[in-house]
Amino acid sequence: MSWYENAEVPWTYVSPRLIPARLIPFWIFIGLVTVGGAVAALASGLAALLAIPVVALALGAWGTVVIRRQVTAHAWAEGSEDLMVKKGRMFRRVTVVPYGRMQFVDVKAGPIDRAFGIATLQLHTASPASDASISGVPAEEAARLRDRLTTKGEARLAGL
Amino acid sequence: MTEQTFRAPREWTRVHPVSPLLGGWAVIGILLAYFIHQRLPDLIAGTGFDDAFALADRFPFVWILVAAILGFALTMLVSIWQWRRTEYRIGDDAVYLRQGIITQQQRQARLDRLQAVDVVQPLLARVFGFAAINVQVAGGTKSGVELRYLRLGDAEALRNEILALAAGVAERDVAAAEDGSPDEAGAAPDGSPRLRDLTSHLAGRAQALNDPEAVLLGTEAPRTAVAASEERPVYTVPIGRLVLSTILSGPAAFMAIVLVLGLTAWLFFDYDLVGTLLAALGGSLFATVGALFGLLGFFWTRINGGFHFTAGVSDDGLRLRHGLTETRRQTVPPGRVQAIRLHQPLFWRAKDWWRISINVAGYGDDQESVSILHPVATRQEALTAVWLILPDLGDPDPAGTLGLAMSGRGGEGGFLTSPDRARRVDPLQWRFRGVRATERALLIRRGRWERELYVVPHERTQSLGLSQGPLLRGLSLANVDVHSTSGPVKPVAAHLDVDDAMALLDAQAARAREGRRRQTPEQWREAVGL
Repeated sequence: MSWYENAEVPWTYVSPRLIPARLIPFWIFIGLVTVGGAVAALASGLAALLAIPVVALALGAWGTVVIRRQVTAHAWAEGSEDLMVKKGRMFRRVTVVPYGRMQFVDVKAGPIDRAFGIATLQLHTASPASDASISGVPAEEAARLRDRLTTKGEARLAGL
Repeated sequence: MTEQTFRAPREWTRVHPVSPLLGGWAVIGILLAYFIHQRLPDLIAGTGFDDAFALADRFPFVWILVAAILGFALTMLVSIWQWRRTEYRIGDDAVYLRQGIITQQQRQARLDRLQAVDVVQPLLARVFGFAAINVQVAGGTKSGVELRYLRLGDAEALRNEILALAAGVAERDVAAAEDGSPDEAGAAPDGSPRLRDLTSHLAGRAQALNDPEAVLLGTEAPRTAVAASEERPVYTVPIGRLVLSTILSGPAAFMAIVLVLGLTAWLFFDYDLVGTLLAALGGSLFATVGALFGLLGFFWTRINGGFHFTAGVSDDGLRLRHGLTETRRQTVPPGRVQAIRLHQPLFWRAKDWWRISINVAGYGDDQESVSILHPVATRQEALTAVWLILPDLGDPDPAGTLGLAMSGRGGEGGFLTSPDRARRVDPLQWRFRGVRATERALLIRRGRWERELYVVPHERTQSLGLSQGPLLRGLSLANVDVHSTSGPVKPVAAHLDVDDAMALLDAQAARAREGRRRQTPEQWREAVGL
């Protein structure tokens, strides 16, 4: 099935370290639900409550697969005039942001992100609909990318 | 007494001292409503006010009164304090505002980011000759400057100077205008400046109220140092059409259907309508009353907001004026409209009426009534309204193309349409979807029964998106989103063939790039050498 391929430059895929960085908080949540459900089942003696940990584990397994697939589909490309970001497999999305439209660029990294040496780059245009964030960019690359984007943005900045 | 000439202050100035009073009226209103609500049963039952006041056994009432007075005094005190701490001034590059009692806030609205200037007059302020001014700049809903209240003349003077400065009219022009005739207020030698100010204002009001129509419609035009640029009116919405258009709406139809069903049941099936109504009222009073208020609120908002809706063009840009209880005079400089949406609800088809909304950065999402270009346009007016925003559509036959975009179907006129297989996900309107780019704008059409058209100038495209869920992927379809600034217009070209969508994305990115290259500068008057 064909999907958007930019002709200019190849996609740069995000770091695979984003997979564990996303799996850890996800599994902490799943783990809490599982343990909570199991404890509740044991304490109350109701066998039906055992469904909670079972369902939670099943969701966890499915979520793990989804996260792996999402991360391996997440990429960006710096074209000559626009930045392109693609994400998602089930629900695919490509966003094309002209450099001249970027109002500012955020780099965010939480504790888990920092432990894995990655960061999230968030691009802001004047539109709230431009969902152009790149997760799992290696930290040094994120800083360089931010500077490059800012430079390109300033060079081409247009009014609204 | 000759007329006073107003000018915008260059040094820190407080908003008008009467502001706390104008704000406090809401509190009085609420208290009055509460009082009536409490006393009404007594009044109806024939127990007069005198009894209510005289009797000592009305003890709780006295306490309510005391609490009300205390509450009012406290509100006023806070308002006055706030007023003392609110100051503004205008500079060559920005409007400055500082305010706040506990947390000091300094704000500057940069004029090179100016998007719109509104002069707003609630009813009370209008009668007494005051107005609030909203300066909208790009950068989120909280980035603008709002001053309430100024004398209408001061507000207009501020608006005119802001617009002149933002347009790039050189500072000396504004300064030269300021050296006009000396202020008339100086003629009265006695009394403090504030008293003189007050007397001249009151005299001005007495004059203004000779022309109640201007006060009611909010068309007063005080003399300002920088004169308002001449306005050529383009269209005015007749009140009859506005009322009819409100009646021909979904909520009205819903009410009519409920009414007809109820009456039918009552007349022909001997249904206990009154009993059911009472049961409904008693059973869930809040839900019923809430729903009723929602419906009435809808009608009220439509009529109130669209009352005497007038659009005009001036050198400062687009001017809109509308409102019944609260009149609003909006000025949107050229090139500030980010996207246009023409919508025709089902019941307007017979009349071929259209409601036209616009995106202006700074107005934001929550101000639907402010982002209206035309509340109910005939087809001809709709074309005119689009022309106001886009004088050059970049098409040899703009009227014909827009006509097809408003009510065409299929690929006629060069529209890119959804393929046959889109009917599986979009059985009603797949045939009516169409996308077409002219030299200057992208037109996106949809809708079979109710119709919708988006017009996005190429140079106003923020970014573009391509999206596809599992259902669309199975049919090789995709959506193209055109990201505009926040507002009621959210253009999307849905259910295109995936290859068409990808081609459109690339072509549109290129067109947007080209559009940005030749877009009008922010200082719009400099560009044409005015």
